[in-house]
Amino acid sequence: MEQHHENVRVRNIRQLDARTLGITWSDDRDDRFDVVELRRHCPCATCIDEWTHERKLRPEDVSDSVRPVRIESVGQYAMTVQFSDGHRTGIYTFPLLRKLVTIHN
Amino acid sequence: MSLFSTIQDKILGRGAPPTGAPSELSDAVILKALSVVRDPDLHKDIVSLGFVRNIAIKDDSVSLEVNLTTPACPVKDKLKAECETALRSIPGIKHARVTMTATTRGMPVNTTHPVSASLGRVKNIIAVASGKGGVGKSTTSVNLAYSLAANGAKVGLLDADVYGPSIPLMTRPVVPSGSATNMVTPPDAGGVRVISIGLFNTGAKATILRGPMAGGVIKQFLSQVDWGELDYLVIDYPPGTGDIQLTISQTAPITGAVIVTTPQEVALIDVRKAISMFETLKVPVLGVVETMSYFMCDGCDKKHHIFREGGGARVAAEHGLAFLGGIPLDPLLVSSGDNGEPLAKARPDHPAAKAFQSVAGAVAAQVSILHEQNRDVLTTFSLEWKN
Repeated sequence: MEQHHENVRVRNIRQLDARTLGITWSDDRDDRFDVVELRRHCPCATCIDEWTHERKLRPEDVSDSVRPVRIESVGQYAMTVQFSDGHRTGIYTFPLLRKLVTIHN
Repeated sequence: MSLFSTIQDKILGRGAPPTGAPSELSDAVILKALSVVRDPDLHKDIVSLGFVRNIAIKDDSVSLEVNLTTPACPVKDKLKAECETALRSIPGIKHARVTMTATTRGMPVNTTHPVSASLGRVKNIIAVASGKGGVGKSTTSVNLAYSLAANGAKVGLLDADVYGPSIPLMTRPVVPSGSATNMVTPPDAGGVRVISIGLFNTGAKATILRGPMAGGVIKQFLSQVDWGELDYLVIDYPPGTGDIQLTISQTAPITGAVIVTTPQEVALIDVRKAISMFETLKVPVLGVVETMSYFMCDGCDKKHHIFREGGGARVAAEHGLAFLGGIPLDPLLVSSGDNGEPLAKARPDHPAAKAFQSVAGAVAAQVSILHEQNRDVLTTFSLEWKN
């Protein structure tokens, strides 16, 4: 149901290994994210043009060695990641994360 | 038979039962019998939901309490009857007395939130909104509030329509007096606590406010009104999808929104916008209420669908939302509002009041479902990455 999908929440969030983040959603779906890919898909206005939605951040701009420092919830709908390269402006909404899943089982 | 023998041992251990009393009665037997009773909204049986309390067995009689998640539970009577039937089916039980009680589920109180002084003891905040004006949104807010209160819930009503406050006329609260602190106590209007800009601004004088000022008033209502302990705070939104709607949704932790519409297509277009606004703000939409659904004249029992039929249910289905019910067009509904005597309170047996009662039950059920779905979600989290 659309309502359920739109209002999906986090039941559990954990670090799985050196570069993998795991999230279990309120509808029991389990996703795994490569944290380097999360950084490459940062949705903030510096990384994506606000008006044209053109991605300005190129994949090669992000080193494979980048890692999160801390991941925190934002309101009831999103999370923000402070990365080791100093970038911290991306607000990853839960629906965006579910579309973004960077590792497929 | 191991269960029964264990239970028998337990009873024998307590001492021999009185003569004539069945020996196998125990809490476990009672709970087992009640586990066939399911809550149709939460899709679980009432025993695993932890609803059953205070079981007392005496001879061939059992009395117990079923504690629901809302006093406005629409299936309260049905559950009660099912419990009594299940209890009477236990061999040895002749009399069963089931008392239905409720503890409204609510969101966890976050004491660091800026609105905690005002809303800290408010369990649920329900936004009543519409895409366009004139659809009966204030009538719905008022009667929803009084229907919830009629079930024993503690209810508040906040009129957020700063430019067209109609709640004071429809509920007639006494004007609040200032208090020693800078917190305002909302006046009681026949069992519902009410706040509106109309209480501070008398008669036909227009509220002329720039956007930021209006937003300021709303913020005050949400931070400087001592709502006290409430099961439900109903917020009557201004019509449309503008600045004030955004301010409320970002200031107060809204549990869910109820969307009000009339059945015709021109109203439904705006409903889609209202739904989309709440989806963007991540406020769950509890469902759609249709007003002016039909008219029943005093000559026959036929429902006349003046503004077409089924629009509200259709738009709800389109968005995967619950249809919370339809309210008939009725002159008494209008005049009772104008006279400050909400129909839900003044004439609870009236068909329109019953329709609101049914809507209130559906709203309360949706709120309970939401809490059940979100029972084990993280409201906040912070994860430190280890290298």
